[in-house]
Amino acid sequence: MADKITIGIADMKMAKGEGMLVTYALGSCIGICLHDPALRLGALVHIMLPLNMETGRKNPMKYADTGIRETLKQMEAKGASRSRITAKIAGGAMMFKDSSGSMGNIGQRNIDSVKLNLKKEGIRLLKEDVGGTVARTLLFDVNTGLACIRSYGRKELII
Amino acid sequence: MAIKNYDELNSLELDTLREIGSVGTGNAATALSQMLGRTVRITLPEVRIMGYNEAIEWIGGPEEITAGVLVKLSGQISGIMLSVQPLEFVNVVLGSMMGKTVGDYAQLTEMEHSALVEVGNIMISTFINALSGLAGMDVNLTVPAFTVDMQGAILAVPMAEYGGQSDYIMTIGGNFVSENKEVPCRLLMSPDLRSLNALLRRLGVSDG
Repeated sequence: MADKITIGIADMKMAKGEGMLVTYALGSCIGICLHDPALRLGALVHIMLPLNMETGRKNPMKYADTGIRETLKQMEAKGASRSRITAKIAGGAMMFKDSSGSMGNIGQRNIDSVKLNLKKEGIRLLKEDVGGTVARTLLFDVNTGLACIRSYGRKELII
Repeated sequence: MAIKNYDELNSLELDTLREIGSVGTGNAATALSQMLGRTVRITLPEVRIMGYNEAIEWIGGPEEITAGVLVKLSGQISGIMLSVQPLEFVNVVLGSMMGKTVGDYAQLTEMEHSALVEVGNIMISTFINALSGLAGMDVNLTVPAFTVDMQGAILAVPMAEYGGQSDYIMTIGGNFVSENKEVPCRLLMSPDLRSLNALLRRLGVSDG
């Protein structure tokens, strides 16, 4: 198996040719796998919130909108072509079901924002495993473009 | 001066928060002690201000499965309180209350779930009662929510809630010791920045 590269919260990493990008315990957060199959270039972003409204915008990878935009820019700088780049996403769960509804649903807002921003950037969403109430660990093989999702009490899923 | 981020707290403010944490967790330990019918003390309470990934490492890694009880605070203090209950703690509770233990969270019955929610809820309410009395502030609590899942994703709930304000998470809380054995069970409070400033003003350590 290829070397594991770990991506933290509000973080992004890329690998080319060989490499396993991993991000752990996505709850309401979303992991976005972006892949250019011709170059076998892959990037994994771990976003936490839907929209960047911070002044200064020090941490673009924390948000769906700036995270996707910045990652695409960095992939293109490595020679990726936007027309080839595809996406797979996982996460956006609601960790605590709450009868009063006072928790809001950041997970769903993240899902909506990620999809909207992928569309805006002209990136095709190939596969997704989003929503629900389970946390997900996401492993993304940049060689094959396949993603594997591990959850507690659920079978491993390959997308 | 009102702070704009958690890492701007000075040592006097941190000491004050640690004191609040101490009173809060102390009261929660007494409540737990009464529920379990055995002595429960607390370790030195901590106030921690951590980056997201640092916090995940601190709690013991992202993928470890744990039970969590969450209560949201509103009123004069907004924030989130979490009771993080590793399996060892779950077994201390079940052992004392029901005379049984489990090897995995999947074995928990509906009844045992309820017991864990109630234990978490009572500790959280006791903590908040103490804080609210000390500061003279009214705090409302939501009905407790419960989950069993990866602890990284549970800890990410307060992070995401205040992620738009800060790159840090602040937690006030402690661990419990029962019959000379440390029982890993963290009681964590994460206030939002506005409430934190209001709280420090109320306690007379901030002139903002």
